[in-house]
Amino acid sequence: MPESKDNSAPNLLKEFGTDHPINFTKDSIMNLLMSFGFEAISGPEIESEKFNFDMLNIKEFHPARQMHDTFYVDQKSYVLRTHTSPVQIRGMLERKPPLALISGGKVYRKDDDSTHLPMFHQIEGIYIANDVSFANLKDLIFKIITSLFGKDTQIRFRPSYFPFTEPSAEVDILSNDGKWLEILGCGIVNPIVLENCNIDSKKYSGLAFGLGIERIAMLKYEVNDIRDFYKSNLDFLKQFK
Amino acid sequence: MKISYKHLIKGIHSKPSIEEVSDKLFQLGHEHEIDKEIFDMEFTPNRGDCLSLNGLLRDLAVFYDVTLFDDIYEGSIKDFNFNFTNNACDDCPTISFLKIELEDLEVKRYKDELKDYFSDLEVSKNNFFTDISNYISYETGQPTHCYDASKIKDDLCLNNVSGNYAFETLFEKKINLNGKNLVFSSADEIINLAGVIGGKKTSCSKETTEVIIECAYFKPESIIGKSIKYDINSDAAHKFERNTDRQCHEMVLRRFIKVVQKHSKVKNIELYSNNYKKFQRKCIPFNTDIINKIIGVKISSEEYKNYLFRLGFNLIDNNIEIPSYRNDLITQNDLAEEIARIIGYDNIPPIELSIKSSNKKDNFNIEHKIKRLLIDNGFNEVINNPFAENGSKNAIKIDNPLDSNKRFLRTSLKESLVENLLYNERRQKDSIKLFELSDIYSNDKSINIKRVIGIIISGRVGKNYIDFSKKLDEKYLKKIISQFVPDNKLTFEDISRSSIDSKLKNKIIFLEIELDKFNRHIQKYNELSTPPKDYKKYIPVSEFPSSSRDLSFSIEDFLQSKNLEDSILNYKHKLLKDCYVFDYYKNDNTNVIKVGYRFIFQSHEKTLTDEEVDNLIDDIIIRCLQISSVSLPGYKN
Repeated sequence: MPESKDNSAPNLLKEFGTDHPINFTKDSIMNLLMSFGFEAISGPEIESEKFNFDMLNIKEFHPARQMHDTFYVDQKSYVLRTHTSPVQIRGMLERKPPLALISGGKVYRKDDDSTHLPMFHQIEGIYIANDVSFANLKDLIFKIITSLFGKDTQIRFRPSYFPFTEPSAEVDILSNDGKWLEILGCGIVNPIVLENCNIDSKKYSGLAFGLGIERIAMLKYEVNDIRDFYKSNLDFLKQFK
Repeated sequence: MKISYKHLIKGIHSKPSIEEVSDKLFQLGHEHEIDKEIFDMEFTPNRGDCLSLNGLLRDLAVFYDVTLFDDIYEGSIKDFNFNFTNNACDDCPTISFLKIELEDLEVKRYKDELKDYFSDLEVSKNNFFTDISNYISYETGQPTHCYDASKIKDDLCLNNVSGNYAFETLFEKKINLNGKNLVFSSADEIINLAGVIGGKKTSCSKETTEVIIECAYFKPESIIGKSIKYDINSDAAHKFERNTDRQCHEMVLRRFIKVVQKHSKVKNIELYSNNYKKFQRKCIPFNTDIINKIIGVKISSEEYKNYLFRLGFNLIDNNIEIPSYRNDLITQNDLAEEIARIIGYDNIPPIELSIKSSNKKDNFNIEHKIKRLLIDNGFNEVINNPFAENGSKNAIKIDNPLDSNKRFLRTSLKESLVENLLYNERRQKDSIKLFELSDIYSNDKSINIKRVIGIIISGRVGKNYIDFSKKLDEKYLKKIISQFVPDNKLTFEDISRSSIDSKLKNKIIFLEIELDKFNRHIQKYNELSTPPKDYKKYIPVSEFPSSSRDLSFSIEDFLQSKNLEDSILNYKHKLLKDCYVFDYYKNDNTNVIKVGYRFIFQSHEKTLTDEEVDNLIDDIIIRCLQISSVSLPGYKN
């Protein structure tokens, strides 16, 4: 029945579907970072150990390598990438500074419990130019966090350790219930990593950061159980229109 | 690692409060929780030097005047004529053995720091020497191992062995050593898994009065992974894996003697020490400009020197001499982190960063358009993990899967989407339209990557009165997709219900398309919907089944149709989850309208009874029948 000819007909509501809330969160953050001037790049989820670890200064016997509970495939020829950092390595090898790159996507760790999943999502960014400092990094992180959580958000930087950045930091925000929640990791790109990517570390320096998408999505949507995102339950998904 | 505030404070002159110490530890990057004045520390893996009371005091020395626990035995020690052969000097470049003989074992109760250690940290006691060894490790960060000297009858040897060997730990756990292992042996028998755990045969007991204390430096890579491999909880391995201080052995062993002397009369002390490889102290050039550049601050050279002094670093000929316990410091960036920690990351003012726009086009435009096309037609996006139980010939196999059901990487999205569909059918969903965008991988001599979209449909086309009675099928999907993908690239699959053990009748149509098969028209697709503007607060999904009721109203005065619609759609109740018009018919001759509404009820607390649902629907009927000319044929009050 043509709707336009019958004024008494009920409204013919067209039901739209939904973006997955994790992809919506990822795309929103990617768009935010692109608005800051970052270029989005992508890379494979099956990676060599060279790109996933070695080029990032995660040495074979380093405890940090043990921290990554890694899935190996094809008789240990490759790994499922444990972070999106190898995409940055590929980006640095293909380009010359100055460069500002972001990559987002799935990453894998051999973990499966109520708070950890074997597959989750990250966004990482890197900026390489002359004289990039930790104070510049702080400025960028403030911009990212206040864009995501509001300009009054209380932010705390804590020293941390990542083999690919030095100095390294973890960043917390103060939640409504007074608890500090870890939001992202960041740091000044370790000169060893720059040299691995044929970038002159005496001339250039860089900053890098990485965010866990599920963590941000859980906070933004107030979802308490990370597993809810991956049940594909229509009652769940349709809430995020 | 647990460290007592009470023990820590003994070394800090100003006796700051636990809250203040906690704040300083966070500033230094040492995460922790506090329980009954015990810091449960979580150190980053580069800071093996902090895994002790003294280590933490050294770090806190940048804020406070501290005194380390360094009350040592300062007397002379005889040489220990010990038959030891080191066949693994690369793995263990420095080692000492201290022999202590007691007059007798008359230790009635522990005193001072030893007593506090066991009582405050609630550590289990073993025997006198092992207890001191554990305490010394807590205090200095250097693990030591105690052999009962009377049980070592032959020469001792350190070797890398390969192959299978039976070994029983001092906690009587039997393990089968395999692969390459660094071990101490005596009389052709392994008596100690080096740097991890000692063996039962030579372990100390409560009767031991003559002990040989091994104090060694093991390279982290020689120890790493062993405790996990053999499922051994080893504090020593944890410390060696994170690197220890090569230069501390004499001080540690003299401290050991001092603690023994506090508790028992010592008859004899002998020491064997060997440095197989000379230790080279690291130096980093002193350069304030570089540090300022990395951090983005302007500290003076004097301030920088002062910071280094507080860290315990010496400045010699414009070079910073790095202490032997700081294995993590190699570059100027490492030093910059030290200075930034002392300043406090939160005290470093941000400097505006301006990134020139890359002017690069959005790489995700095509994917975005494809998604909008489907979302505009009521499709919901899902994300699945890529692990599959079965794999085709070219599927990539996971070497170490989480379990046997997840041995392969999927080569198609079909299996995942069928699972998603069945999951929702079990939850009474009668219109299912799902899609997933993902890379899929296969192995044909090399790793192949394809970026694909998978689509699955089954059930009603939609829930409005035009679509309600129509069923999702290949034709429906083709109508949406075919203008953007050539027909010869579309392979629809009608999935047989019997193959997936489902008794429903609706067709299941699956379609998978490589994204590069979409034509250029997709880039010009005119989007109807927009992504949400913000994040909506999630309302937890009920785990209880829903109940539905249909009401078919007759409206003689067609002008009342809108009043009925408003009345129903404005009806709110916490148990009414959804309501829509599924049927509509207007008799053009009589102007009588028939309209069917479906109501769906669901509780978050329980399964609703028929009676509860009937009561709710009665409320709605009474409300509707108050509208003139509206009737519910067949309804009896």
